[in-house]
This record gives sequence, C-alpha cells and structure tokens, in this order.
Amino acid sequence: MSAIIALCQKEWRISLDTPQGYVVSIAFLLASGFFFGSSLFLNGQADMRHWFAVLPLLYIFFIPAMSMRLLADELHDGTYELLATMPTRTIDIVLGKYVSLLGHITFLLALTWLYPLTLSLLGNLDMGIVFSSYLAAWLLAALFSAMCLYASSLTQHAMIAYIVGLILLLVIFLITQASPTLPIVLQDWIALLGPINHYQHMLRGVVSLADVMLFISLTVIFLSLTWFALERRRWR
Amino acid sequence: MIKAEHLTRLYGEQFAVNDLSFAVKRGEVMGLLGPNGAGKSTTMKMLTCFLPPSSGDARIDGLSLADAMKVRRLVGYLPEHAPSYHDLDVEAYLQFTGKVHGIPKATLHDKIREMASACGLEQVMFRRIEELSKGYRQRVGLAASMLHDPQCLILDEPTTGLDPNQIIEIRHLIRRLGEQKTVLLSSHILPEVEAVCDRMMIIDQGKLQALGTAQELAKQAQGGITVLASIKGDVAKVLTHLKAELSDVEVIQQKPQEAGLTTLEIYHPDPDCNLAEQLFLAVVAKEAVLLEMQREQTSLEDIFRQLTGGKA
Repeated sequence: MSAIIALCQKEWRISLDTPQGYVVSIAFLLASGFFFGSSLFLNGQADMRHWFAVLPLLYIFFIPAMSMRLLADELHDGTYELLATMPTRTIDIVLGKYVSLLGHITFLLALTWLYPLTLSLLGNLDMGIVFSSYLAAWLLAALFSAMCLYASSLTQHAMIAYIVGLILLLVIFLITQASPTLPIVLQDWIALLGPINHYQHMLRGVVSLADVMLFISLTVIFLSLTWFALERRRWR
Repeated sequence: MIKAEHLTRLYGEQFAVNDLSFAVKRGEVMGLLGPNGAGKSTTMKMLTCFLPPSSGDARIDGLSLADAMKVRRLVGYLPEHAPSYHDLDVEAYLQFTGKVHGIPKATLHDKIREMASACGLEQVMFRRIEELSKGYRQRVGLAASMLHDPQCLILDEPTTGLDPNQIIEIRHLIRRLGEQKTVLLSSHILPEVEAVCDRMMIIDQGKLQALGTAQELAKQAQGGITVLASIKGDVAKVLTHLKAELSDVEVIQQKPQEAGLTTLEIYHPDPDCNLAEQLFLAVVAKEAVLLEMQREQTSLEDIFRQLTGGKA
C-alpha cells in the first residue's frame, strides 16, 4: 500500500514540476470549455447533453497524452528495474500508476463542475441527470485510463504508447458509431458490450447496475492485461 | 550472506547464465568480472529478484529468491547506468525511494540527511537530477540504494562513464561501505576490482571461470613462476649451475647490456621451487654479482585474458 501511495505522489509531483502536466490539463480544459460554450449559446438551453456527448472524443485525444509516459518512460529509462527491485509487487506498480492517472482526470472533471454550477444559476438544470452523467463520464474515464495504461506497458516509447492508446480508444468509439451499418448479430453484441452505448444509456439519467458493472469489469480486464504485459517482460 | 546455487538463466535458447554457484561472505566486497555479455548483469538481476532464474536458486541471508519481497528489503541495488527520475530533484527522489521502502516518516528525513552526507550530496539536494553530472547521478543512485539500510549491496558497473577523479571518489565510497555491508559489484575494469574487492570471480559465457583473491587467481592462472634478474659476470656459467640444480628452468630472455651486465628472464613451471633462491645461490657459487632480482607478478589482466579466451 505504501508503494502505491508513494508512486502516486511521485507521478503527481512530476506533473506539477514539469510543463507536460500543465500543458495537457490546460489544453483539455480549453477544449472542454469551447464545446460547452458553443452548444450552450446555440441551443440556449440549460442542459449539458451536448457537452457530455462530445466528452468521449476529448478523452480519446487527451487520455493517451496523460498516460503515454507512465510506463513507457520507466521501461525506457531503466527506472522500471529500480521500481521492480524495491519491495513492490507488479500489481502495486500498476495500481500506483493507474490511481495517479485517474486522479489527474478526476481533478480535471471536478474543475468542469463550474459548468453545471453556472447553468444552475441561469436556468432550471436537472441535477439528477447531471450527477448520473458525471458518474458515466468518470466510469468511462476509468476504463479509458486502464486501456491507455495498457498501451503504455507495451512499448518503451511514449509516442508509440500514445498512438496505440489513441487507436484502442478510437476503435471503441467508432465501433458504436459504425454499428448501424454492421450485421444485426454484431449490432446486438455492440449494444451489449460497447462502452459508448452504455455511456449514452447513462446520459439519459438511468444508472443501472449492468452499466456500472460493464465499466468496472472492462477496467479490471485492462488492468490485468497491463499487469500481464509487465510480468511477461521478466520471463522473456 | 549471498549464496548462489546452480543459478541458470536462459534467454530463448541461449544461456545467459549457466550453472553459476558461488558464495559471498558477510562483510565482504566481491567483484564480478567478465567481458561484455558474460552474464554479469543477468546474474545481478536474478539476485535482486528482477529476473526469475530458469533453474537453480540463490539464498540471501538464508532467504530463497522466491521470497522476493523479503529479499528486496535486504538488498540495495544500483542497476547499470544508475537510472533515476530525471524530472525530480534529489530530495524528492530520495523521499520517493524511502516511501516505497516503507521507511516511517519520522525517521525518513534523518535517513536522507545521513545518506546525503555519506555520498556527498548536500550541495545538490534541491537540484533536478537531470542537471547533475554523471558522477553525481551515480552517487544519487548509491544513496537511494542504501536508504533502507540494506545488509547487502548489489552494484552493476558503478563506475562506468565516470572521469578518473569521480571513479576514485566512488571507489572510496564503496570501500567505506564495504566495512559494514556485503557488497557485490560488477565491472570489466580490472584495476578497479583489484583496488576495491576482497575477492573476485571471473565469469565468461555465463560460467564461473575462477573465484578467489587476486593472489589466488594469479596462482591458479599461471602455473609456474617467472623471475627477472640483472647479473654482472659470466651468465652462461650461472645458468649451467642453475640448470644442474633445477632441471626444468627455461630461459625466456637473455639480453647483454653495457658494462658486462646481463638481464635475464627465467621461468620454472613449479611455483614452489624457490627459483629466486636457487638463482641467488647459483650466482654466488659462480662468483658473479646479482644487481637486481624480482619475481614477476601475474597481473589480473593476464588472468582475465587467459580465462576469457583473450576476448578482453
């Protein structure tokens, strides 16, 4: 446990000490603000539906950028060897990195609470939907983080980790977009397992256990894959 | 303290370390020598529980490598090239290392101060590791590897890439540490191992070739004994007298110098035959004058080259 906390603190410290963390955070907030503002003034309605619909796209570009160096750089610089020879289990390393990444995204999502707060002053905002949508957004971020952390564990180069992460997330996103053109059998499977489908479901204000469990299980699967990718390096 | 038993590691079909057994006593500084690619780093990675051995095991203070978490607490490890987090400053890096090792907050600060002064880091505590010279980074790595006060230190080529002054500093540091801890260090720089280590072992192609003190290795590698001498007088007569006493004496070199002096290099295959003494007696018997005599030492370089097939 102390290893997970220490790793997490180290990642945050590096994010605060170096420009990378700020650059990604500021770019994310600018883009998110733009999408929030543009739709708000067009529609003139006090809801955040449009913003939540665009959010997965923002994730697709920003989460790989936040996660790319987490494991790839450690493998590249040889510091992974240091970590792995300290009293840490591989799972501690995975969880430490994951918690630091998810913490970063949670912080950014918390900052976007300015939008519903502003809206609730201006109009009659349905807070129930806002809460369930934020839960959905957070669960989706948790899943995407696990996927991008996995991408980072596959390579020693942060840039490749970014591209692999981007592709993984794009596939998840596009598969839902493209599903109407696919055979019926596949459509059913995508409706059942597609994270974006479940995300959209939750945006309607319905939180079902099935939605939550899908996100949690997929996240656990990708964290296990990350663990496996790191362990495999020791046995090659 | 460290006891390797038939350690073996395969990379695919290739043996990186092949049936390696050795023991390092408590408080000893052991050098691990070998040409590049001999399996030094792989051996160290196994001893620090980074790579699992393909077969065989090692015991560190009686604990098997399977007890990875306990072994890691006992061992301090400095990997090759002393990796560290370049974006952190020295203080933050040491704090991180301490926390991962679970050093309680109350003592962590004092521990960091203590290690910083032992490794001469006080001046650079708040500088980013990125900005430090190679020598300092190496010292940061050493400080981090000793922060949890390990019984046993494993250092992979701790002086590569340093300038001569830095090498001497790091050597002194290791020598000082060696008084309290068991140290295993690898190197392909022979004088360094000779200067720092109590005993050394030479490995090549994953196999142990020799183990012992520098003197023992010299004896093991060179079967006989070589004596160099300067003699004034009739050398031919001296040699005939000597050969009558010791039949197997070989003259390797005989060079007449000015003023009746001759330099002579002779060899005998048996190191315990008192070659020098016999030469002295022969010189006295033939009424010549012995001006200079020395036993030639087999240098570690020679041993190394012999055992690793001249690839060094």
